[in-house]
Amino acid sequence: MAETWTMTSPRPIPGTPGSDLVRAYIWELPVRITHWVIFFAVLVLSVTGYYIHRPYISFGADQEFTMATMRFIHVVTGFVFTLAFLVRMYWMFTGNYCARWRAFIPLRRYQWTGMGEMFKYYTFLRWYPAFRIGHNALAAVAYMVIFLVMLIEILTGLVMFERIVHSGFLEALVGWIPLVLNIQYLREIHFFIMFVFFIFIIHHVYSAALVSAEEKNGLVESIFTGYKFVPVWSLTGDPSCIPPAAPRQPPPAPVNVVEKPQAPE
Amino acid sequence: MFRAPTLGAALRQQGISRREFLSFCGAMAAILSLPAGFAKVIAQALSETRLPTLVWLEFQDCAGNSESMLRSSHPDVANVVLELLSWEYHELIMAGAGQAAEELLERIVAEQEGRYLAVVEGSIPLADGGVYCTIAGRTAVDIARHVCSHAAATLAIGACAWDGGLVAADPNPTGAVGVQEAVPGIRVVNLGGCPHNPANTAALLVHYLTFGEMPALDEYNRPLFAYGRIIHDQCERRSHYDAGRYVETWGDEGARKGWCLYKMGCKGPQATFNCPTVRWNYQTSWPVKSGHNCLACASYRFWDTMSPFYRRLPQVAGFGVDTTAGEIGIALTAIVGAGTVAHAIASAVRHKIRPTETTAPGPTAVPPEPPHSPPKEDDHA
Repeated sequence: MAETWTMTSPRPIPGTPGSDLVRAYIWELPVRITHWVIFFAVLVLSVTGYYIHRPYISFGADQEFTMATMRFIHVVTGFVFTLAFLVRMYWMFTGNYCARWRAFIPLRRYQWTGMGEMFKYYTFLRWYPAFRIGHNALAAVAYMVIFLVMLIEILTGLVMFERIVHSGFLEALVGWIPLVLNIQYLREIHFFIMFVFFIFIIHHVYSAALVSAEEKNGLVESIFTGYKFVPVWSLTGDPSCIPPAAPRQPPPAPVNVVEKPQAPE
Repeated sequence: MFRAPTLGAALRQQGISRREFLSFCGAMAAILSLPAGFAKVIAQALSETRLPTLVWLEFQDCAGNSESMLRSSHPDVANVVLELLSWEYHELIMAGAGQAAEELLERIVAEQEGRYLAVVEGSIPLADGGVYCTIAGRTAVDIARHVCSHAAATLAIGACAWDGGLVAADPNPTGAVGVQEAVPGIRVVNLGGCPHNPANTAALLVHYLTFGEMPALDEYNRPLFAYGRIIHDQCERRSHYDAGRYVETWGDEGARKGWCLYKMGCKGPQATFNCPTVRWNYQTSWPVKSGHNCLACASYRFWDTMSPFYRRLPQVAGFGVDTTAGEIGIALTAIVGAGTVAHAIASAVRHKIRPTETTAPGPTAVPPEPPHSPPKEDDHA
């Protein structure tokens, strides 16, 4: 009964009752790959970056090369992170409507109402979360902020890297930044953003688990598989992700809904 | 005016042999990152050069840059440079004083307009009309604008003349600024550092006398040959840094063994200067070699931006002096973690007590009318 339905080719399923959960392909492969590359990169960058900030293992032995190794891993992982970020930015303009930039930047009314609804849900002013196929509106804004934070992290990292390699290209790209803000503050920002990532990860995992449990939609699993379980009524193919008005208001009496299709027969 | 003898004769008078002069030229070529063959070119050019006049202005300073210049080495940077240039006005060392000295300065500006070199040491106060530094009844900014704007080139020597230095450090009561800010419209070459390294200043002058122009400059108008690379990449303790061997406290085993001063707040990774290679006091030593961390004294506004000098990162505004960015970050993460746990508990409670409302989308909701289904079904029927 549960048919597969992809975002890129909307295909309404005839004859299915509206609330049946169907398997919907939400997160495309580039989204999932960049998600996990960024996650593991942040993990590695945090461990090595914290060591660079405060070398927590001290070796007396002559054979060790700890800091140099940590720095090497940090720089290489930093570029992996940057690449994943760039791929994700590219996908902002080519992916499905859950991955596109429009989903993240609240320019439309339904995004603002969705934010209000989710805010009410998180502050216990609402019993149930508001439904969205992709990101809920509040999460989308949080992701937009975290993308900006990633960009700041990449730029501050490149400033410091430029000082070592003296690359003309990098200097043209980020050379103006230390003239605006002293390198010491750039270092501090670069370091402090690590905690912003930690805080984000705590909140992100928690809210994903929470909403996944509330909607029973396999949200947590979806970032591995790409599929979420969504009610049929949401599969309108509307790129704005607006759910139909019905589920948000008391729906019509079940008798009517069931009998209506039978009436013509 | 007084007619100077040739450089060679002047140097011989000082007891400096041709061999020592050539070794000086070689050292200058090395500091300027020129090929070894340029030592000959420099020697030739310096021997033939006509002695340009140099005036050395001191404003809000400690005379540390003058002292550094006079105590320079190589073994005789001071001698050679003093002989190379007609050092006409320098408050610290000139014999003349009072009206005679000021008249001499006026005469140089009038007679040698566009030909003399102006060196400025010390910051220039701008607050309250510049009254915080006056010489012979004129404010520092007035003198600087008058003398520097008529000079062939202006060198700002030391941190104070570059960016205001210590005098301009927060809260900067005199409104002190460097030369390039006090005298807009002129090209200033900045030789930051507290004090400047006289070998670099000598090399800059030698470059100017040899090639007739200033060397390549960076974004702060500092010569790239001296300020182009970070100290960390030239440091003799770098191998300890890479190996992960650090001084943990002053006087510990690591300090005695000469390990890396990174954890003591060394600013070598930030600062750009050629301190580790050119060194000080007859190339004897420099701060890190002598066991103290770098303060980045050659960096822009280092009193404000590089402090606290014994910490890796600056203080976070609005927090106590002992609070580091790391502590704030860990505390914030812990608060968010605790808040998340509290929210999870509250959400579980909500799940228990809430009504099974039809407003909730999902399997428990009563199926609404699918928007696309009825027409399709009608078609099939």
